[in-house]
Amino acid sequence: MHEFIEAFKFIAHNGAVAGRPGLPTLTHLALETLRVGAIGVAISIVIAVPIGVWLGHVHRGSFVAINLGNIGRALPSLAVLAIGDAFLGLGLTVVELALVILAVPPIITNSYLAVDGVDRDLVDAAKGMGMSEGEILRRVELPLAVPLIFAGIRTAAVFVVSTTTIASLAGFSGSLGDVIANETSYHFSGVLGAAICVAALALAVEGALTLVQRALTPRGLLLAEPRRGRVRVADAMPA
Amino acid sequence: MASVSLAAAGPVIPDYSAQSSSCVVHNHLFCTDWISHNFSPILWPALRQHILLALAAVAIGFAISMALALAAHRYRRLERPTILVTTFLYTIPSLALFELLVAPVGPNVFSAEIALVSYTLLILFRNILTGLRAVPAEVLDAAEGMGMSRRQALWRVELPLALPAIVAGLRIAVVTIIALATIVYTIYDAGLGVPIHTALGEGPFKTELIAAGGLAILLALLSDALLVGVQRLLTPWARTRAS
Amino acid sequence: MTGRRMGRRSNVMVSATAALALALAVGLAACGSSSSSSSSSSTSSSTAAGGSSSTPGAGKPPITLGDKNFAEENILGALYAQALEAKGFKVTLKDNVGSSEIIYKALSTGRIDMYPEYTGVLLSAVAEQKTNPTSAEAAAQEAKTFLEKHGSTLLDTTPFYDSDALATLPSFATKNNLKSIADLKPLGKKAMLGGAPEFATRQEGVLGLKSEYGVDLTFKPIAIELAYKALESGQVDVQDVFTTDAQLLGGKFKVLEDPKHVFGFQNVAPVVKQSVLAAEGPAFAETLNKVSALLTIQAIQQMNKAVSIDKQSAATVAKQFLAANGLG
Repeated sequence: MHEFIEAFKFIAHNGAVAGRPGLPTLTHLALETLRVGAIGVAISIVIAVPIGVWLGHVHRGSFVAINLGNIGRALPSLAVLAIGDAFLGLGLTVVELALVILAVPPIITNSYLAVDGVDRDLVDAAKGMGMSEGEILRRVELPLAVPLIFAGIRTAAVFVVSTTTIASLAGFSGSLGDVIANETSYHFSGVLGAAICVAALALAVEGALTLVQRALTPRGLLLAEPRRGRVRVADAMPA
Repeated sequence: MASVSLAAAGPVIPDYSAQSSSCVVHNHLFCTDWISHNFSPILWPALRQHILLALAAVAIGFAISMALALAAHRYRRLERPTILVTTFLYTIPSLALFELLVAPVGPNVFSAEIALVSYTLLILFRNILTGLRAVPAEVLDAAEGMGMSRRQALWRVELPLALPAIVAGLRIAVVTIIALATIVYTIYDAGLGVPIHTALGEGPFKTELIAAGGLAILLALLSDALLVGVQRLLTPWARTRAS
Repeated sequence: MTGRRMGRRSNVMVSATAALALALAVGLAACGSSSSSSSSSSTSSSTAAGGSSSTPGAGKPPITLGDKNFAEENILGALYAQALEAKGFKVTLKDNVGSSEIIYKALSTGRIDMYPEYTGVLLSAVAEQKTNPTSAEAAAQEAKTFLEKHGSTLLDTTPFYDSDALATLPSFATKNNLKSIADLKPLGKKAMLGGAPEFATRQEGVLGLKSEYGVDLTFKPIAIELAYKALESGQVDVQDVFTTDAQLLGGKFKVLEDPKHVFGFQNVAPVVKQSVLAAEGPAFAETLNKVSALLTIQAIQQMNKAVSIDKQSAATVAKQFLAANGLG
């Protein structure tokens, strides 16, 4: 327990360590973690949502969309970062590349499932009303798919927080992982304190995005009985 | 013969460079000669440890999740709190969770396994429960009509029918844990994270990075394929609807 | 505080924690120990075949030798372990136990019986001593005094020391007539000084350079693994390096002298439990001291090169060195 008390002191001091002036504050590192992560998530959304939505709309490529999720999960963040480092040298670009590689699959998979799973009767009805393909996508499929797409983004965001901290192990500095990777400077109390902050940050991101997701979910869907019998694509944690 | 005044004369330094490979010295992308020399002393032990770490975690995680899912299947109100707790555990980034466990448990294999197991729970619990729930009520009625006890129905009807969902969960869990086990090295000197760590500290040494990282990815993909095979063997009736 | 020798790589990327790992986990090492113990046992059999040495260690209680989580420590661990085995002592080598704080904890809780340590690191990180020793001998003596208060002791130190050092290209040194760090003073802010980010805030770094030598260059953070590249490419004029770096072999770089010892004293010596020393008999310390005496800066640089650049295993490198010097 003593260690946890010391860790909370470290947090209370915002990451200051006696005898080591000039270390970055925890607030700064937390914001950097979010910034690096947000860039990765943003790029991933731009790439993955259109692909997933389009595949779902044309009801094709289920094999690719779903197995992509599995392959993404099989990629250990550290290995991706390490291999990126081997080929390109470590820097923000390689870290963002790794984040995108890891965040794109769950977003594609979820976007695909979201649009593909929209009730065909609704789509047929919309066709019957004379809507064009584009209109069907915009006015029927997308609104219904938004919650599940967002669930994919949420999964990806939690991934990204985790991977951003792991990037410190590969030598990329600029996240809370720096503290965990540098026990020499921070002692174990600092490492533990940073671990608490990383956990809190991930939970906060998850919590905040869950709220947003709820706000985006059409009321009708909230009330509807959840579909049974379908194995949901479980969220995955990157390593 | 070693002379006593050896130190004064200075040490004899062997010519190490005679044995070095130019590919390795120049850190080319992939040196097969390094791999052939170092597979058995470095890569294989790391791979074996990695497999053991993952196997143990998935086995323990499966036992716990199965118990939780059976309980939640019977007592519905257990579902929400279980999901809440397992989601909480699942959301904590691996690097942080390992450290958080070091304080109470120590930097050892137990910390590593507790963390890995905790990441399997959400996936396995949710999939097992979904599988059990998906069994149509009529089927259960029929089982009851045939005079099966609740326990018999579970073992002979519900679990077999839930098998595809359970294996789907296992696939995700196995692949996830294999990926996560690369971080174990931060608290316990085992797994493919160890050579990745060594290689990162040396330049980075590309051959070792690619080999160790590649082995982790390959292991995950092969395990996944293996489980697909197992699923097909166990549930020939579900062959057409692979996850 | 010089953090480096506590775990050089930990600054770059990992975790002293990595290490935290093994420190206490050694007992459970179903997985971890197999590789190191197998390598050491193979060497002991081969040396036994050599047959030149007597075996005063036969029948003595087995010991566990730990080392920290970077290449140089792995080499030192292998050297001491194999030399002892050649004398018939039974040794289990635990590689990568962890940073100084952790490996010292492993020693004091009896999980390991000895480990190689840098004197300066021992004083700053373990003894938490605030004042700097004035000579290498003083550093060793102070470390020994501290250890003996806590049930351990320090054996003889190595001739080599692994401290921070400032290096330049020989051309730059010639042009500016640089021999010692003091000669950098006139260059002022025009010259670029590279170093790991924390170098800027350490007394054994930018602060000490300013207060001891009045040297105040423009600091540029450079990741440790890029140190020599930064010098070669001209990104920086002067770079923080380590005295035992393999890259310093062959004269491609010039190391500036540090007459005021801003970078402290970092010779290595085995830290051993006193009880162990007593139980093992005099040949034990004698053997370790013989090994230490051989470890000149050239010797350790060559071995570091063989491990870090040529990627040979620490065990093999150590074995060849001991064999060549009649200790294998």
